[in-house]
Amino acid sequence: MKNGISLFKYGASLLGIVFLSATIYAAEETAPGVKGMSEEEFTPTKEVLAVKYVQADKPYHMDVESLKDRFKDAKGVKVALQKQDKAFPNGGGSVSSAEVKAVHDGTTIYFQISWSDPTKNVRAIAVQEFRDAVALMFPLGAVEVTPAEHFSPRMGDREKPVNLWHWKADWEADLVAKGELEDVEAQYPNMHDDFNTNPYSAYYHRELITSVAVLSGGRAANNLLSQPGRGRTVEDLNAEGFGTLTTQDHQDVNGCSHYEDGTWTVIIYRSLITEDPHDVQFVPGGNSYFNMAVWNGEEKDRNGQKNISTQWHPITLERVAWQ
Amino acid sequence: MTLVHNWHLGRRMEYPYFESRPKRQFAAIFNINRCIACQTCTMACKSAWTYNKGQEHMWWNNVETKPYGGYPQSWDVKTLKLIDNGENTWYTNEKDEKLSPYGVYEGDTIFEAAAKKNLNQWAVGYIPEDKEWRSPNFGEDVAKSNKPDEYSSLPEHSRWFFYIQRLCNHCTYPGCLAACPRKAIYKRKEDGIVLIDQKRCRGYRKCVEQCPYKKPMFRGLTRVSEKCIACYPRIEGKDPLTKGRPMETRCMAACVGQIRLQGFLDDNPKNPVTWLIRHDKLALPLYPQFGTEPNIYYIPPRWAPRAYLRQMFGPGVDEAIEKFMVPSRERLAVMSLFRMAQAIIFEYKIEEGPKVFETVIHGKKFEMFNDTVIGYGEDGQEILRTTIEEPIHIRDPKYLNSI
Repeated sequence: MKNGISLFKYGASLLGIVFLSATIYAAEETAPGVKGMSEEEFTPTKEVLAVKYVQADKPYHMDVESLKDRFKDAKGVKVALQKQDKAFPNGGGSVSSAEVKAVHDGTTIYFQISWSDPTKNVRAIAVQEFRDAVALMFPLGAVEVTPAEHFSPRMGDREKPVNLWHWKADWEADLVAKGELEDVEAQYPNMHDDFNTNPYSAYYHRELITSVAVLSGGRAANNLLSQPGRGRTVEDLNAEGFGTLTTQDHQDVNGCSHYEDGTWTVIIYRSLITEDPHDVQFVPGGNSYFNMAVWNGEEKDRNGQKNISTQWHPITLERVAWQ
Repeated sequence: MTLVHNWHLGRRMEYPYFESRPKRQFAAIFNINRCIACQTCTMACKSAWTYNKGQEHMWWNNVETKPYGGYPQSWDVKTLKLIDNGENTWYTNEKDEKLSPYGVYEGDTIFEAAAKKNLNQWAVGYIPEDKEWRSPNFGEDVAKSNKPDEYSSLPEHSRWFFYIQRLCNHCTYPGCLAACPRKAIYKRKEDGIVLIDQKRCRGYRKCVEQCPYKKPMFRGLTRVSEKCIACYPRIEGKDPLTKGRPMETRCMAACVGQIRLQGFLDDNPKNPVTWLIRHDKLALPLYPQFGTEPNIYYIPPRWAPRAYLRQMFGPGVDEAIEKFMVPSRERLAVMSLFRMAQAIIFEYKIEEGPKVFETVIHGKKFEMFNDTVIGYGEDGQEILRTTIEEPIHIRDPKYLNSI
C-alpha cells in the first residue's frame, strides 16, 4: 500500500491501479462478523473543522457554563451519524447528527459536542441500564487520510492505531458521588448490605470492608471502569481495529457536560501536547482528523451498538496570535 | 462463522471460532433424583466468591425448582422461545457412539437462530432485568398439577416438581465467549474453564445477553461482568488440603446430599466422569439444543413427565432413567464415588465382592454385589476406597445419647 500512496500523489495516470487494489481490499471480509468498507469511507469529508484560537484564562470551575463563552465565535461542523453496521454486534441509529465545535487557547484544546437525546441516562448500575456517551477519535501520528491510505474511520486498523476520548455520563455522576464512585445504593436506595463503612458502628467489620477491593475483580485487576476516584469523565484509549479498544495507562483527557431541553452539550478538553506516545498531538497551525460516535443509553447502546460517522473529518488548528 | 462438531447435537454447527477442545474438560455430574434443594452448594459458593458489595444478586451456583422456578426468572422458557422455529426436532434412528450418541438435532441453536434472523450478533439472547435476578430459586417448590405421563409416576402424588442445580456449564462452545465483542472471555486450554478477563471487560453485557444459561452476571459496583470461575485455584491444586492434587469446587465439595461428582471429561474410559457421560450415557447435558455443548451433566429425575425431560435433557432421557432405576453392577459401583473425596478422581477400579441382594424392579432383575470401588488421583495414587454396602456401626448402648 505504501507504493499506492506515492503513486496516488505523483502519478495521476496510475490512479486506476490504486483504485483496483482498493476495491479488492474493500470487498473482502476482514474478520468474521466484519463487513468490508466502501471506498467512500476512506475519503475524508470536505468540511473542515477549524479550531479557532481563543485567548482565555482557564476558569476556576471547568464546567460547560464557564467554558461556553470561548465557543461563541467558533464555527461548528455538523456530523451526520448512522447505525454501526459493519462489525458484530451492529446497532445504533437513534441519533442522526451532532454538532462539533473546537477551540484552543495555546495550551489546551476544547471540543464541544452537542446532540439531541430526549432521554438522559447517567447511570449503568442496574443490569438493564446503559449510559449516554460520546467519543472522539483521532488517527495517531502524522497521517494523511486519502482513499489510497485506507486509514479506517472505524476504530483504526492494524498498524494504524487511533486515539479515542470517550466521555461517559456515568463517570460524570461518579465524580460528585461519595468516594468518587456511585455505589449500588444510588440505584437501590433501600437495599440492605453487610458493609457498614462507619468504623464506630457496632456492625463495622474491618476485614469485610477491606475485602471489597480484593474481591472486586475489576478493581483488583486495575480496570479503570471499576476504580473509584478517577478524577475525570473522559477515558483516554487506543484501538487498532474492532475489539481492540484498550484503556491507556496514562489518562490525560477530561470533560464536562450539561443536559437541557433534550440536548447534551459535552466539552472534552486536553492539553495540545502530551508526553504520552500513545496520544494524538495537536500543534497550532497544524492539522489532523477526527471521527466520532454517540451512544444513546435509552436504546441500550454500548460498544458497537452506536451512532457513528463513517468518514474522517479534517481539523485545522489556528496559529496562536501573539499580542 | 466456522463449522464445529457438537457431539450433543450429533452434527456440525456454526460457531464464530474454530473447534479447539481443551486437553481435559472441567465437568460435573449431578444426580437430580437425590437433591433436596438445601442450597448448601449455593451458600458455599456465595460465601467463597460472591458475598461482596455489588454481588447481592449474584448466585453463581443456585438450585431451582422445575418447571416453574428459575434464576433469573423463566430464563429457560425465554431462551427456548428465541430458538423455537416450530420445526426443531431430534432424529434418533441413527446414532454414532462417538459423534452422535443421542441422535441428531435438526433445529436451530442459539447461533444458527441469530444468523437466520439476521440479528447481526453471534447468538440470540436477552438481558434479564434486575428484578428477575431477585432470588436463587424464585418459584420454590411450586408443583405442576398435571399428572405425570405413562412413563413416569409417583406412588402417592399426581403432582410433580424437581430441583435442578445450576452453575456455569463451562461450555465447549460458550455463548458468552462468542458474544463478547472484546474477546475478554476465554476458555482455558488446560482445563476448559471459561473466564472473564476483569481487566478487558467493559461491562457491555453482551455475555449476559447471549449466554443461554444466564450465568455471566453484571456487577453494578465495578461496572463489569463476573461469572463462575470453577474455583480454579482449587482445580489447580492450590488448596493445601489436597497437597497439590486437583480439588473439587466449593459447591461440589459442600453437597450434603452427595448428588455431585466433579472431574474432567477426557479420553480415559475408566475416568468415572467420562464413563458415566460418554460410555454409560447415564448423565445428560442441560438443554443441548442451545448448541453450546455444556459440561455439567444431569441424571434426570425419574418421576417427571418424559416430554418435559426430553425437552430439557434431549432424547437420551428414557434410556438414562431406565439405567438409573435398575443400575448395572459397574454403574452402581461408579455411582458410589459421588462425594466420597475432595480430591478429584481421575480413574476408578472395581474389586469384585460377594452378591448381597437380589430383587425385581419394574419387572427387571436387579442383583447387588458388595464390590469395592477405588478412586485414583491425577498422580495415580489411591484417594479413596469404598464399598457398595456401607459398613454399619452399632453404637454401644452406653453412648446412645451422645454425639
